[in-house]
Amino acid sequence: MLRIRGLAKSYGAGPALLDNLELEVAAGEWVAIVGESGSGKSTLLNIVAGLDRPDRGEVLLEGRALDFGDDDALALWRRRNVGFVFQAFHLLPYLTVAQNVALPLALLGVAPRERLARAAALLEGVGLASAGERRPGTLSGGELQRAAIARALANSPRLLIADEPTGNLDEANASGVLDCLAGAVRQAGAAALMVTHSPVAAARADRVLRLSGGVLR
Amino acid sequence: MSPALAASLFRGTLVASRWRITLTIACIALGVALGGAVHTVHTSALAEIDRSARVLAGAADLEVRGPSSGFDDALFASIAALPELAASNPVVDVSVATVAGQGLRVLGIDAFRAVAMQPAFVASAASTGSGRVATLLDGDALWLSPAAAARLAIGAGAKLPLMATGGAREFVVAGVLPGLDNAGEVVVMDIAAAQQHFGRIGRLSRIDLRLRAGADPARAQAAVAALLPAGVLVSRAASISGRAAELTRAYRVNLDALALVALATGAFLVFSTLALQAARRRQEFALLRALGVTRGGITAMLAMEGAALGATGAVIGTMLGLAGSRLLLSGSGADLGAGYFSGQSGTFAPDALVLAGIALLGIGMSVAGAAWVARAVNRMHVSEALRDRTVELPGNPHSSGRLALLLAVAGVPLLFLPPIGGLPAAGYAAVALWLAAAIASVGPACRVALGLWSPQGTVASLALAQVRQLPGHLAASVAGIVVSASLCVAMVIMVFSFRVTLTDWLTGVVGADLYARAAPSGEAYFTADDSARIATLPGIASVEALRYDRLAIEGSVAPLSLVARPIDARILSGFQAEPREMPEPGTLPHVWISEAARDLHGWKAGERIELPIAGKKVPVQVAGVVRDYARTWGAVLIADGDYRRLTGDTRANDLAIHLAPQADPPRVQAAMRTALTHLPSLQIEEAGEIRRRSLEIFDRSFAVTYALEAVAIVIGLAGVTSSFAALAWSRKREFGVLRFLGLTRGEILRMIAAEGAAAGTLGAAIGLVAGAAISLVLLHVINRQSFHWSLELHWPLGALAILVAGIVGACALGARVSGTFAIRHEAILAVKDDA
Repeated sequence: MLRIRGLAKSYGAGPALLDNLELEVAAGEWVAIVGESGSGKSTLLNIVAGLDRPDRGEVLLEGRALDFGDDDALALWRRRNVGFVFQAFHLLPYLTVAQNVALPLALLGVAPRERLARAAALLEGVGLASAGERRPGTLSGGELQRAAIARALANSPRLLIADEPTGNLDEANASGVLDCLAGAVRQAGAAALMVTHSPVAAARADRVLRLSGGVLR
Repeated sequence: MSPALAASLFRGTLVASRWRITLTIACIALGVALGGAVHTVHTSALAEIDRSARVLAGAADLEVRGPSSGFDDALFASIAALPELAASNPVVDVSVATVAGQGLRVLGIDAFRAVAMQPAFVASAASTGSGRVATLLDGDALWLSPAAAARLAIGAGAKLPLMATGGAREFVVAGVLPGLDNAGEVVVMDIAAAQQHFGRIGRLSRIDLRLRAGADPARAQAAVAALLPAGVLVSRAASISGRAAELTRAYRVNLDALALVALATGAFLVFSTLALQAARRRQEFALLRALGVTRGGITAMLAMEGAALGATGAVIGTMLGLAGSRLLLSGSGADLGAGYFSGQSGTFAPDALVLAGIALLGIGMSVAGAAWVARAVNRMHVSEALRDRTVELPGNPHSSGRLALLLAVAGVPLLFLPPIGGLPAAGYAAVALWLAAAIASVGPACRVALGLWSPQGTVASLALAQVRQLPGHLAASVAGIVVSASLCVAMVIMVFSFRVTLTDWLTGVVGADLYARAAPSGEAYFTADDSARIATLPGIASVEALRYDRLAIEGSVAPLSLVARPIDARILSGFQAEPREMPEPGTLPHVWISEAARDLHGWKAGERIELPIAGKKVPVQVAGVVRDYARTWGAVLIADGDYRRLTGDTRANDLAIHLAPQADPPRVQAAMRTALTHLPSLQIEEAGEIRRRSLEIFDRSFAVTYALEAVAIVIGLAGVTSSFAALAWSRKREFGVLRFLGLTRGEILRMIAAEGAAAGTLGAAIGLVAGAAISLVLLHVINRQSFHWSLELHWPLGALAILVAGIVGACALGARVSGTFAIRHEAILAVKDDA
């Protein structure tokens, strides 16, 4: 599903952050990437998401290479193919939870009634069936992250990216979120890439890779 | 909290928001500068008038004045004999035209008497540069003030032809009087010569009086008054500057009020900037409260920040205002367009007390804005704010609807209060209350309006959701647009209504085909023979003679204009008289009074009054009230036949000429010039040209108003742009999320522009409603009480549409430009920003 070939990236005159990096992730496979702070994990995620441009190399999703020269094309590609889960949740405070979950569908032009129906179904799937009309500010951290996972699944993504999904959660909530995430990966059948500092979170993945010296091992 | 700590916290804010703070200070400075400059220009003009009047009055304690046509010079002997007086000086004061058409003020004086009061009137050859000791007794000798000599570009020995009785006459400039350096442009000559040459035989314009040492001024004044006929008054000398101040007070106050609008809008920008800063510093304030700073301490800290911004802006603004007014005075003089101070030049005389007051007002407004922000800050829950990174301040939405209603209702009874000291203070207060009501209505009005809006499309829906929240700081910037838009809308409606009303009135009043004047300026006349000769020329159907005079009315600051002319139903219709019909002939002459005369003197239609005409108190019947937009201080129309019978004066200042059908206007004008060769400065104009020029003067008089309104709009828009810039910055994280979710940069910018347009539309819509209401106050209360004019309401739909579209477009553009900086590549990193 996801293939990264010969990826390289450096900032300024320092050593390369990513150095001829290679990676393949199959559909439905959940890969965890661990590494020290500053090892380039976020940079790798940003490039894979089409938000940063590599110095060399290519990223292919279902055999199609990303065109890093066209910013709008990348945005549209993300809209159709990628789901994100952030460490800080990032639900928009002025939308209801259901509206937040439905936002990717709105961007795809799905009709309001249909997208809210699908949002309701997704929220039920993550155990937040009754939270649809509430504002994000009224939810706990664990609930927020589960809502964020529901949002990440809304556009039926081919690629699921999770950046420290349990970084702001306690152990109990983190466990619940990881269960949710596992279910989401299975449900979506997407290639899932997760960056984490948590060994517990990493252990839930199908494969754990360490980013060090610019390459994945 | 210690001032030092507060200062260091503020320094951090300054560094983080230096451009926004700079813009805020600039707007305060602009408001202070405008207020200071307008006031300084007017103060300087009045100071110059005062100085000039004092130079001419010399040591005089009292002065006797009458109508512009003068009073009997036999009065002088009886007045001069009063024991209370040490000296008395008769003066003929006339406005004369040069052959070239320039106006000159000529003072005819008795040199031997005048020198006792004003030595500058007489000088030796050595000090004048004259080759010989010319005396003022020479009938053809003129003495010029330095200003007059400079304007005419002539000196001793030059010939100066002036329009005298019977035609042009050449006079000789005997010298320049350096002692009249501050007297303005004045020409001095022997009084008998002035009487003879300028149609004032047996007439005086003024008598200057000096009291004997120890004489009681009030008693002396009463003794003089007892000798005076109707229409001749005695007052303290050098009161001309006081009269000028009185005459121009309403105009000056109105212009000062407009300038203060710009200041108030700038102060709003301070409020919105501080509100925005407070929202962003929410956690900082929460931390301070958690560490033990009281609510009062927070308020003091914010007040200090507001004072710092206001003080900086006020200092810069004061300096800019002084520099600007000095530049204006030395460049184009003191006239800001309405003609009240035309001819006054650049004597710079700022009023330090008033300028300090304006500066303090700017600071006060800033501090008040800061205190209002502090109220919201002190409402927040400290514990929630410490956890939550939301950029918002708690509002109090439900009270503002009630407050808006209360403020609006409170303004209504003020509309019915009379003026205070001749100024529409209650009207101004009503405008302030309705503006405050408009501001208070922003929150609830937005909720209602946005509840009705259901856009299609994700981008528009996201914009709506954001604006629907309407964070406190965004509401503050929208309120800034409401303030400036309200006043702009009100002025546009008022000026348009005035212009249409004036145009209709001019069409009725300037109803003849041609108008002739013996000279473009100065007191030149047509005799009865002149009028009769013109009436016989081919192509002329009829000629109406118009005669003007100014009557001195006891207790009135300004003279009452008397207009003697043929009056019929057509004329009454043109003047929009009430009632419109010609009255039945009665035992008394009929007169028609202007609205100003009615308001200032308390006269009404049907009333019997007495007017000082030809030195007598003449009983007349008020037949009706007319509109007169040319004379602010009142006018009386009287039939020319009645006037001639009462005065014996058969002269005319102007001739209104009705052409015969198929007449060729240029040919008729040529024939008139041929018939009146003794009037080389004869001026003939077509009615259309007069109407066009009148409207030009009207437009020019409002130029400063439009400039001040434009500044207020610019400041309001600056506030919106600044607010959106800060809002965009604070939403970088949100923009990053939207970029992750697949929104393009263009879509995000369109969303931001839509939010700006929505805010601009809301502000403009509220401003439109408030402005329309305020325009009614301007038309029917402020203008009425200031200038005594009735005006009809007319709606400038095109101009209003352009104004609203401009505001909406500018807000959308400003928001989009602000957003451009916030969605750069670094925005993506903001997603991971934990700060």
